[in-house]
Amino acid sequence: MNDPAYPVLVVGSGAGGAMAAWELTRQGHKVLMLEAGRHYDPRTETPMFRPNADAPLMGAATPDKDFGYYDSTVNGGWQVPDEPYTTAEGSEFLWWRSRMLGGRTNHWGRYSLRFSEHDFKGKSRDGLGADWPFDYDEIAPWYDRTEALIGVCGTNTGLDDMPPSSEGVLQPPPRPRIPELLIAAAAKKHGITAVPMHRAVLTRPLDDRAPCFYATPCGYGCSIGAAFQTTTSLLPMAQATGNLRIVTDAMVKTVTTDADGQVTGVTYVDKKTGTERQVGAKVVVLAASACESARILLNSRSARHPGGLANSSGQVGRNLMDSTGAGLSALVPALMDRPRYNEDGHTANHLFIPWWGHEAQARGELDFPRGYHFELGGRFSEPGAYVSGNLQGYGPELKRQVRAHYGAYVSFALRGEMLPNEHCYMDIDPQVTDKWGIPVPRFHWRWSEHELRQVAHGLKTAKAILETMGATVGELPAPEEAIKKGGEIIHEVGTTRMGESPTDSVTNQWGQTWDCPNLFVMDGGVFASNPHKNCTLTIMTLAMRNSAWLADQLKAETL
Amino acid sequence: MGKAPRDQGDVAHDQASAPAYANRLTRRESLKLLAALAASAMLPALPATGSTTTGDVAGGAAGDGHWPQLELQPVTARGYGKDPDLMTPPEAPWPLTLTPAQLSLLAVLSDIIVPAEGQSPSASEVQVPTVVDEWVSAPYPAQQHDRLTILSALAWLDDEAALRFSQGFTALGRPQQLAIIDDIAYDNDQTPRQFRRIAGAFARLRNLVLAAYFCTPDGMEDIGYLGNVAIAGDYPGPTPEAYRHLETVLAELGLGEFAYPVG
Repeated sequence: MNDPAYPVLVVGSGAGGAMAAWELTRQGHKVLMLEAGRHYDPRTETPMFRPNADAPLMGAATPDKDFGYYDSTVNGGWQVPDEPYTTAEGSEFLWWRSRMLGGRTNHWGRYSLRFSEHDFKGKSRDGLGADWPFDYDEIAPWYDRTEALIGVCGTNTGLDDMPPSSEGVLQPPPRPRIPELLIAAAAKKHGITAVPMHRAVLTRPLDDRAPCFYATPCGYGCSIGAAFQTTTSLLPMAQATGNLRIVTDAMVKTVTTDADGQVTGVTYVDKKTGTERQVGAKVVVLAASACESARILLNSRSARHPGGLANSSGQVGRNLMDSTGAGLSALVPALMDRPRYNEDGHTANHLFIPWWGHEAQARGELDFPRGYHFELGGRFSEPGAYVSGNLQGYGPELKRQVRAHYGAYVSFALRGEMLPNEHCYMDIDPQVTDKWGIPVPRFHWRWSEHELRQVAHGLKTAKAILETMGATVGELPAPEEAIKKGGEIIHEVGTTRMGESPTDSVTNQWGQTWDCPNLFVMDGGVFASNPHKNCTLTIMTLAMRNSAWLADQLKAETL
Repeated sequence: MGKAPRDQGDVAHDQASAPAYANRLTRRESLKLLAALAASAMLPALPATGSTTTGDVAGGAAGDGHWPQLELQPVTARGYGKDPDLMTPPEAPWPLTLTPAQLSLLAVLSDIIVPAEGQSPSASEVQVPTVVDEWVSAPYPAQQHDRLTILSALAWLDDEAALRFSQGFTALGRPQQLAIIDDIAYDNDQTPRQFRRIAGAFARLRNLVLAAYFCTPDGMEDIGYLGNVAIAGDYPGPTPEAYRHLETVLAELGLGEFAYPVG
């Protein structure tokens, strides 16, 4: 089954894999892509404009569709049929997967914030975690290229947490809505600034993708291509070069090696027939998601690589990080019975609150390292399976209460940086295998004081802003109760981290594994730290930069 | 409805004219009545052979009044799965399970909660009871939890109607129905202890009825949802009226000087 026509084999069709495939095929390299999920066509499968009333249970979330009936996720969510994972005793961890072409890019939040110099060099500043093996200046041009390619709306705010994009890269952001404007004013009174969110949503046409028409939630997927997902952009673009072949329902099991320990290809299960196949490749790029790629490496044991492939450092599966998450919401009486208008917008944050505490932290005024941001909620959203308000009675007076409370709640969703710690990692469960006989990940998890103190700070801050808006906020929960479970924010990264040295990292700064020069990782696994800014933009930016480097090596025949 | 036990007829007659039933019936008498009602098979959904008790029936201690101890057959239908058709959602994802009597009662309650008003139809006119039936018939944990809550509430209402007026709830006149609903539709510190549990259950049903109502086209118009329409060009943002309202709010909260600049 060796196919010499495909010198590069990419595992995964999500953010990292599709960007790698685009960059390589664009430069004329033949790529074979294996995707564990089914084929998915957003042009014919996206339920644009479908009202909640037409869905079972008014579209409510269920264990079958964890984010609601219309969420684009196929055969996934917190559990995937026939593909379990386990957690060690005393650990809680949730692992979101999707089994579809384009992976999780079909439903992601599209929040696209650049990491800054601050973010890449955290350890140099506070001694914790690990630095990244490059400076912001080296990656800044690649952020520009990625933002221009995928289409990001937002502004250059000049804030120290948000490095600027080059002139002309960003598209204009949509106008803020009333609850966001009220939060922005209340936050400002506390010296905290709200600014336009950066989102991978077009407000201007790009290639053959239409700009947003400000309706239907991006989580459904976007058939017009306005909200970025690889299935309407990078994948068809790469296929148009004639250099990309995609095989779906192909669940990669191991990376194969020769007697010298060099990579020769992969084995995978053809899910349609249940048969195991082998395919050869000159270079293998893993982009199956941080935990799936680490799982493949740990399952690729051999005499030459007894602890798993590319794991001479022992770091594969270690340094598992998610973002911290916590939420606080309240009724704002001043927003009750407010004038109606269409507040759908691009269906997510128009304004958000970036991390404002760099200076205070440098002065030693905070009791936790690193930062967080607030995503802001509250608008006249489409009615669904639940109605807000402490409602009483019945009849016309009850309906009046419902109308009064509609659009009068606001929420703060904290998303913060987590430090890696020795208790947070994944290994392979010694007993459990999935339907295909592949051993499954086992997760170990424990938040540290850093994250709990950060969440306590965030809750206190959100409460202060809410009270400034005239809201009544009860007693705050303890941070141990408020913090979301590990994995729940779906920003899991770090399991194959990059670094300066083969002793404490899995790959070099190009995502090339130290142990096998023809094996690369191009998903979130390579993150050396997990800044509070949502990971997908940086996954794509690194995949573009590192695939361009890989393309140079292929041209120079140095691999 | 089945016939009320003969020896309770006088009590019921008195109740109809003077609905302060708690003064006439001691708790012991009301429990005796309930036993008689159960024996006459008036209660819906009482024990089926081999069934198991589900959900939160614990806590039905003294003070809860006559909370029904339902033993429900678990719903065993399959869910819609992990890859359902999003473009054409299933019309009937699983079998509906409410009896005609339960549906009729639900319709009466739905229309008390959301009556017709001006141009807006009532809840039953837009098929809210069917949506509730789909909800309580769903095989998922949250819905099965609600199933016990809501079926218990329906049973409680029929029991209460029988206790006060010797008839099922649907057979009562509207003033009698509202006499009961007025006791359970306000869940606050003043709620008498014997109505707290039913008030919580009624609140769950009420929220479900409201949700089902407000996500219909009529309901969305009623609540003032103006989205889900394609906009050509840039998002227009708030209306002048909405901005004026914000200005007032900012001024009232003393936040005028901190206003976010809007161009």
